[in-house]
Amino acid sequence: MKRWVLWYLLAPQAWLLAGLWRDLGLPPFDAAVFACLFLGFFAERSAVPWLLVPLAVGRALVDPASLPVHLLVLGVPVAVLLPLRGVFHRQWFALAILAAALGVVVPRLGALLGRWFEQPSAGGYVDLAVVLWSAVAAPLVLHVVMRLPPMRAFGEPS
Amino acid sequence: MQKKPTAFPLGLYGLLLFALCWLVLPAAGAPLERLAVGAACGVARVMASLFGAPAAAASSPTRALLAERTADLHRRVVASDVALPAMPASPYRQPVHCAVVGMARRGGGGELAELRLDRSYDELADCSTIITKGDALVGFLARPGHGPAVDDVPSDPARVLLLHHPAGRALHAAVDIPDGGRLRFVLRPAAVVDPAPLRVSLWDDPWRAARLDHAGLLVRSLPQVLTDGGELPAGLRIGTTRVWGYPATADGDSLTLGIFVAPVVSPRSLSHVVAWRGEGATTGDLPERAVPVALRAAVVHDLPGALHGRHLLVGCTVADGSAVVHDGCLLGLARGLAFGSGLVTSFAASRHRWSLLLMPDDPEAPPRELEGEVIAADGGAVVVRCRDVAGERLATGQLFTGSNGPHCPAGLWIGHASPRDRQPGALDVVVPVITGPRAVEVFAAEEGL
Repeated sequence: MKRWVLWYLLAPQAWLLAGLWRDLGLPPFDAAVFACLFLGFFAERSAVPWLLVPLAVGRALVDPASLPVHLLVLGVPVAVLLPLRGVFHRQWFALAILAAALGVVVPRLGALLGRWFEQPSAGGYVDLAVVLWSAVAAPLVLHVVMRLPPMRAFGEPS
Repeated sequence: MQKKPTAFPLGLYGLLLFALCWLVLPAAGAPLERLAVGAACGVARVMASLFGAPAAAASSPTRALLAERTADLHRRVVASDVALPAMPASPYRQPVHCAVVGMARRGGGGELAELRLDRSYDELADCSTIITKGDALVGFLARPGHGPAVDDVPSDPARVLLLHHPAGRALHAAVDIPDGGRLRFVLRPAAVVDPAPLRVSLWDDPWRAARLDHAGLLVRSLPQVLTDGGELPAGLRIGTTRVWGYPATADGDSLTLGIFVAPVVSPRSLSHVVAWRGEGATTGDLPERAVPVALRAAVVHDLPGALHGRHLLVGCTVADGSAVVHDGCLLGLARGLAFGSGLVTSFAASRHRWSLLLMPDDPEAPPRELEGEVIAADGGAVVVRCRDVAGERLATGQLFTGSNGPHCPAGLWIGHASPRDRQPGALDVVVPVITGPRAVEVFAAEEGL
């Protein structure tokens, strides 16, 4: 229970933290990339849908599109990655490549869904600096994040 | 290889399906979203309260300057909209300037086809059904209890059916063709999937019509007795032609399959229209603005990453799409959340389509209604791409909001706009950038709009 309370309290703040990080002039990254990689490759499989909800709520704090759009923007890449878990699990170079790919796919998907449902997403543009830094930082960040609460409590054993 | 039920996340698929259903019925999920996002704002709200007192409103000279600008805009918009030489023979000669407060229902060409005005059916009871803008025919006033307004009562805001409304009427119109002469035809609303809102359905000379391969010809109305007893005057601008077919090739003539007509004013950019009252109207003088819009005081705090245009609004309950104004200038649009808070997306960070009003610096030039969207922003420098301006170089001037829903009225100052070099139809807009907590005002229209 404690892990869920912590997750629902802290996960939505990840996007505000990313904004603060960017405001401080540090290399920008897209929190959605790390969220998708964590849910896709490391999180407890049965908990993924419920872990996704507060992440989507967090993205709704910083992006004007509505909550269901964020559920789809994060959920569709996770749904694609989950069946590949056995193939890419703990292969850090492959994770970096996937992080770069997600850095492009997530904004594009946001833009596409925004157009379809007339809810344009402010994060619908690919920023090459974000793609680059997400790829470089993904293995390290995920390695660290997996050891911190509440993510540690949701990690699936190898 | 894992077993199928484990490999494929059925729970996640269920959640995605739920999200799709939510998007189809957004009103059903809105309270849940307000609650969830409002609760998630709690931490930011506590943090925001620790970061200083809100800045007060601007000095009175600044406010006076903005008020003067807005008054100038209003004066020029009214002068431009009621300049109609085509109604002299009509008994309806007294213009009633109405603001558009809402749009609904898709019509021909997939464009929105219904307007809601800031005046009620009762107030427009003595008016002709014809609705104009300048010398352009915009649409027809609906009658409460009839047709698409069957559920409306006379005290409701009046509904205007644009020419391409699915329940729109057939119009008699004509076009002057380049090789001399004139073609007359019947104009009807096109289908939603058609390339333009109006479709020519019957020609007086089909053989000449089949050879018509010029787009952009001006279509004007012909005199017509309307089914409700009114009379449509001749010469009102309706739109410009769009040719649908195959262009001429080296070994063959062009083949015109259909002629469509695009309205003079893009429906989404309409912020004001004019109804015409008969002489000797019984409803007395109409107030300047019939529907009151309340202003609510609130405080805006920067969220982390607010450089990218996202702010937390605290202090009042807001409706989705409410305009947030600081010192008389538009900050952005708010989304209401639970617990008396909201999230504001600044104009610069927005990516949706705006109805805009451009007031040229040249005092003789009429204000221009535009439909545009922000395509890039860097601090206070914003690039706005305008639609339906056909590569035209727009004027330099002040940019204001047009009609963007009941909670965002026309005439809120956004910034100074100038045409973008080597990019016709785009504007460079300079908007004020202020950081830190600040006192703001939030627009809220009355219930029912």
